[in-house]
Amino acid sequence: MTEYLTEKDVRDIAAYTSIGLTDEEIPQMTKDLNNTIEMLKPITEYDLEGVEPTFHPIGSLSNVMREDVEVQGFTQEQALENAPAQQDGYFLIPSILGGGDQ
Amino acid sequence: MRKLEEVLQDWEAVIGLEVHAELTTLTTKMFCGCKLEFGADPNTHTCPVCLGLPGALPVPNKAAIESIVLAGLATNCDIEKHSMFYRKNYMYPDMSKNFQTTQGPIAFCMRGHLDLEVDGVGAKERIDLGNLKPGETGAADSTAANVTRTEDGYVAHVGITRIHMEEDAGKMVHVGGGEGRIAGATHSLVDYNRAGTPLIELVTEPDLRTPEEARLFMQKLRQIYLAIGISDCSMEEGSLRCDGNVSLRRRGTKEFGTKTELKNMNSFKNLHDGLAYEICRQAEVLEEGGIIYQETRHWDPSKKRTIVMRVKETADDYRLFPEPDLAPYDLSDEFINRVRAKLPELPDEKAQRYADTYGLSAYDARHLVDHRVTANFFEACMDLTQGDLAKPLANLIINDITAHMNADEFFDLPTSPLTPERAVELVKLLADDTISSKQAKQVFTAVLEEDKDPAAIVDERGMKQVSDTGAIEVVVDKVLAENPDKVEQYKGGKKGLLGFFVGQCMKETKGQGNPKVINQLLTQKLGD
Amino acid sequence: MDLHTLGIADLRRGLRSKEFSATELTQAMLGRIEALDPKIHSYLEVTKDSALSQAKEVDAAIQAGAYDDLGILAGIPVALKDNLNLKGTHTTCASRMLESYVSPYTATCVQNMLDQGAIVLGKLNMDEFAFGGSTESSAFGPTRNPWDTDRVPGGSSGGSAASVAAGLATVTLGSDTGGSIRQPGSFCGVVGVKPTYGVVSRYGVVAFASSLDQVGPLARSVEDAAIALNAISGRDPLDCTSQHIDTDFTANLAEGVKGMRIGVIPEFMEGEGMDDEVRDKLNEVMNELKNMGAEIVEIELPNVHASLSAYYVLGPCEAFSNLARFDSVRYGYRDPGHKDLNGQYEASRSVGFGPEVRRRVMLGSYLLSSGVYDTYYYPAQQIRTLITQDYVRAYEKCDCILMPTSPYTAFKLGEVKDPTAMYLSDTFTIPINIAGNGGMNVPVGLGNDSHLPIGAQLICPAFKDENMFRAAAALETVYGSACVAPDFEKAGA
Repeated sequence: MTEYLTEKDVRDIAAYTSIGLTDEEIPQMTKDLNNTIEMLKPITEYDLEGVEPTFHPIGSLSNVMREDVEVQGFTQEQALENAPAQQDGYFLIPSILGGGDQ
Repeated sequence: MRKLEEVLQDWEAVIGLEVHAELTTLTTKMFCGCKLEFGADPNTHTCPVCLGLPGALPVPNKAAIESIVLAGLATNCDIEKHSMFYRKNYMYPDMSKNFQTTQGPIAFCMRGHLDLEVDGVGAKERIDLGNLKPGETGAADSTAANVTRTEDGYVAHVGITRIHMEEDAGKMVHVGGGEGRIAGATHSLVDYNRAGTPLIELVTEPDLRTPEEARLFMQKLRQIYLAIGISDCSMEEGSLRCDGNVSLRRRGTKEFGTKTELKNMNSFKNLHDGLAYEICRQAEVLEEGGIIYQETRHWDPSKKRTIVMRVKETADDYRLFPEPDLAPYDLSDEFINRVRAKLPELPDEKAQRYADTYGLSAYDARHLVDHRVTANFFEACMDLTQGDLAKPLANLIINDITAHMNADEFFDLPTSPLTPERAVELVKLLADDTISSKQAKQVFTAVLEEDKDPAAIVDERGMKQVSDTGAIEVVVDKVLAENPDKVEQYKGGKKGLLGFFVGQCMKETKGQGNPKVINQLLTQKLGD
Repeated sequence: MDLHTLGIADLRRGLRSKEFSATELTQAMLGRIEALDPKIHSYLEVTKDSALSQAKEVDAAIQAGAYDDLGILAGIPVALKDNLNLKGTHTTCASRMLESYVSPYTATCVQNMLDQGAIVLGKLNMDEFAFGGSTESSAFGPTRNPWDTDRVPGGSSGGSAASVAAGLATVTLGSDTGGSIRQPGSFCGVVGVKPTYGVVSRYGVVAFASSLDQVGPLARSVEDAAIALNAISGRDPLDCTSQHIDTDFTANLAEGVKGMRIGVIPEFMEGEGMDDEVRDKLNEVMNELKNMGAEIVEIELPNVHASLSAYYVLGPCEAFSNLARFDSVRYGYRDPGHKDLNGQYEASRSVGFGPEVRRRVMLGSYLLSSGVYDTYYYPAQQIRTLITQDYVRAYEKCDCILMPTSPYTAFKLGEVKDPTAMYLSDTFTIPINIAGNGGMNVPVGLGNDSHLPIGAQLICPAFKDENMFRAAAALETVYGSACVAPDFEKAGA
C-alpha cells in the first residue's frame, strides 16, 4: 500500500479543515485516507490528453441570472434564531486571536 | 529614515494595487435578493443564502454582471465571454459559507489599462525621466518604458491585469479589548448585512513606480467608476478599498524584491503616505543589510507608520475549484453591446473634448473633469456663452469653486447660490475690466453668502474698477513723486520694487485701479 | 381498512368519495408510526400537530366539494429525508452538528409537495449528511430493514425507503448523490427514483455534492413515484441548475415496452462481482422485458469502470466545501467553554461530525490542495466527460438501460465495517450521478437464497425520465407493485 499521506500530513489537513483529532485518532484516519486514495488510482492512469472537463453536468446551461429586485428576507430575530450565542442583534463568537485567555 | 525623494534616487519602487469596489448603486446583493444598505441595524438584511444556511443556493444578480462588464469596457479591458465562478475556501467567521464565491483564472475583464497624467509636485517623485523631451517615451529596456514625457510632467501607461466579480464578507466588531481592535478582544460580534454585497476587484500590473502614481491611479479609477455609476466609491465607508503591493529593487537591477502587502489606506492621502512610508521603511531595512519578509502590513495614519498584521510563511492554499451551484457564463455579443451602449462619456474623453472644443490646456481640461459636478457646471456655462470665456470660466471652477468644495464637505454646487448664469456674469465683469481679479474673489464669496447676482453686488459695493488711463496716471505720478529714493533704487537695478509701486497705486485707488493699466503706466514712466 | 397499504390513486378515490377522511387517514398513519416505527427507527421527527391541522384543511375542502382543486397529492401522507428543509421542523441530516437546528425556511421540492396538498408526517433517518450506504452512520441510531430487522435498509436515504416499505408513509422524498435513493429502494423492495440532474430543484436540500445531488421520490408503486415526481419537478428560480420540465411522468405508464430498445451491458449480466441470485434475477428481468416485446440491445460503456474513482474525488471535494459552513457561528453545535475561535471550531466540528463525515471532508480538502488538484480533481472532471459521452453513444442504440441496482441484497447491521468496502457497494449506481442522467430502482421480487428484496435498475437518457418510468411500469405488471414488508410488525423493538 502506497503511503500517500503521513500522519503529519493528516494533522495538517485536520488543522486546515478545523477538525480536531486526538493523537489516538490520527493513525486510523491516516490509514483510512490512504486506503481511499489508493482506490482513486484509476484516475491517475487515464490518458486524458485533450479531454475537456465537465465542471457542470448538463452543460447546456449558461448565464442563469436573476433581476436586481429586492426579496423580503429574514427579520433580525429570524436571522438569529439558531445562533448558539448572540448579543445586541449580532452573532457572538469567542475572540479570533484567543484574547480571552490573556 | 531617509526622505522618499532621496530613497527613490537609489531604489526603484515596484507597486501594484488591488482595488475593491462595492457595487453600491445596485438594489440587491450578489447572489440573493437582500437589500443593499449601509448602516442598517445588524443582521436585518439577511436570508438563507447570505447567512450560508444549509441547503441555500446562490443566483447571480444580472445587474452586477452588467456593472462589471461596464467597468471593464471603461478601463480598456477585453471582455471574456467564457468564464466561471469559483469557490475560494477559507474559514473566517465573517464569510458565512466559509468560502467566497469569486472568479478563477479567467475573469469577466482581462488585460486593460489606464493612462495617468502626472504633473506638478507629484511628478518630481519620478526620477528616471532623465533627458526625455516632451512627446518622447522611455526606451523599451529602460525603467521608463511605459512613460511618455509631457510639457508639465509625464503620462504613465498602467496595465490592468483583470477585474473579477466576487462578494463581500460581513462585518465584525471586536469587543473586550481596546478601541475595537482585534488584539486583546475577548469576543467578536458578527453582522452579515454586508455579506454577499457585489464586489469587483481590479488588479493592476506592477507598473506603478511612485506613491503619487498610485494615488492618481486610484483617483482616476474612482472618477471612472463614478462616471459609469456603478458605485458611490466612498473610501470612508469602505465601498472603495485599496491594498498595495510594494517591493524595492536597486536602480539598474531587474529582479523583483520581496513584496509586502499594505492595507488600510482608506483615503487618497493615506494611500500616498502609506506607500511612501513603506518604501522608505523597506529601503532602510535593506540598506542596513536586513531582509524584507512577505507579510501583510497595516498603515496607521495617526502614528504615521505601517505595522505587521500577519506573516505569510507559505502561499495561502484556498482550494479553488469551479462553483458547481452556478452555471458558467457564455456572454453574447448582444449582451456586451447592450452594456457598451450604456457607457457614458468617460473623464478622459470629456477632457479631450474640452481641450479640442474650447481650446483649454490639457491641465485645465483634466481638472475640470476631476469631479462630475464641476464638469457639468462647466458645460452649463458653455451652453450660456456658446463656448466663449472658456478659459476664465475654467479658472473660476478649478481655482475658486474647487477650493470651496475642498474646504467645505457639505458644499453642494448644483444647489448652491452660484448658478452657471451668475458664474458667467462674474467672469464677464472680470473680462471687460469692470472689476479686478481681487474684486472678483470678493464677489464670488458674496454671491455664495448673500445669494445675489454678481452685477448687483458690484453695484451695491461700488466696486467698479478704474481703468481710465488719465485718472490712473495722476495716481502713478503722485506715487512716484512721493518716493524718489525708491525710484532711484529701481533705476539702479532693483527691479523688484515694481511690486511696491503697484501696491501703493492700488492703495491710492482704494483697490479699484486696474492693475494692468497701473503696471503699464509705471513701467512706461520708470523708463523701461 | 388497511389504509397504509393503499397507493395515491386509491387514497384519492377514498377521500373524494368520503369513504374516509384525511384526518382519519392521517391519524391511522400517525398511530402506525407510533406503534411500529420503534421497531425500525425510520423517523427522526414526527410532525403530528401540523399533519393533523393540514388534514383538517383537506377535510374542509372535501366537505365543500372542492377536493379536486387542492392538488395532486391532497391528503396523501408523505415524509421527508431529514436533509430537506421544512420551516419549523428540525433538519438534522442525522448529525449531532444540527441536532437542535430548526429550519427557518422550506426547500422548494418540499413546498411543491405542500402546494399539491401533501400531508407531511415527519422527517426521516439517513446516513449522517448522506455519506453512506446503510443508514448506520446516523448520529441518532440506525434504521432497520422492515424485511429483516437485523439488516440495514441501505442508505443514505434508509429512513425514506424503510418507512415506505413498512407502510409508515405512502410516498417519501430522498436524495441521491451516488445511489442513495436507488440502493435503499433495492434493499427495502420499493421504487426509488433519481431523476436527471436538474429535474428537481435542490434549493433547501442540504448539499452533499452539488453537482451530483438530486432529490427523488420513493414509493411502493411506479405510478405513485411518477405522481410525486410530477409534483416536485421543474424550474426553480432559486436553483440555477434546475431546468424547465413539462413532462407528465405518468403519461406513458400503460404503454408497455413493445418496441422499446433496452440496453444491457454483457459483463454486468454475467454477474461478475455480484451475488448469484442478483445475477439470476437480472437475467430473468431481461427475459421478461423481451417477452413483453422489448428489443434487448447489447451496449458498452467503456469508461464506466472509472466512475467509482471519479465519484470518490468529486463527492468529497464538493462535500469538503459544502460542509465548511458548519462552524458553530450562525447555527449548529457549539462546543462549550472555548475562549478562542479556533479551539471552538475544532472541538465543535470534531464532536459535531461523525467519523465518515470527518473522513470525507478531510479527503476533499486534501484532493483540492494545490498540486494535488491536478492529479485528481481535474482528471476526474475530464473522466466525467468521457463517461457522459459513453452514455450518449449508448443511447443512440437504446431508450433505456437495464442493470442491477446493488450487487447484493441487504446486509446485516455491523457487517460492513471497512469504509472502502462500503464505498464499493455503489458500483452500479454511481455512474449515472457522474453523467447526470436519470435512474430508478424497481423491485423485482425476492432472492431465491436470501428471501430479501432485489431491485433492477433502469437508466434513461438525460431528460428522458419518462422512458424509465415506462419500462418500470411494464415490469410492475409482471412483479406487482411493492407490498408492505410482511413480518416486521412481529419483530421485537
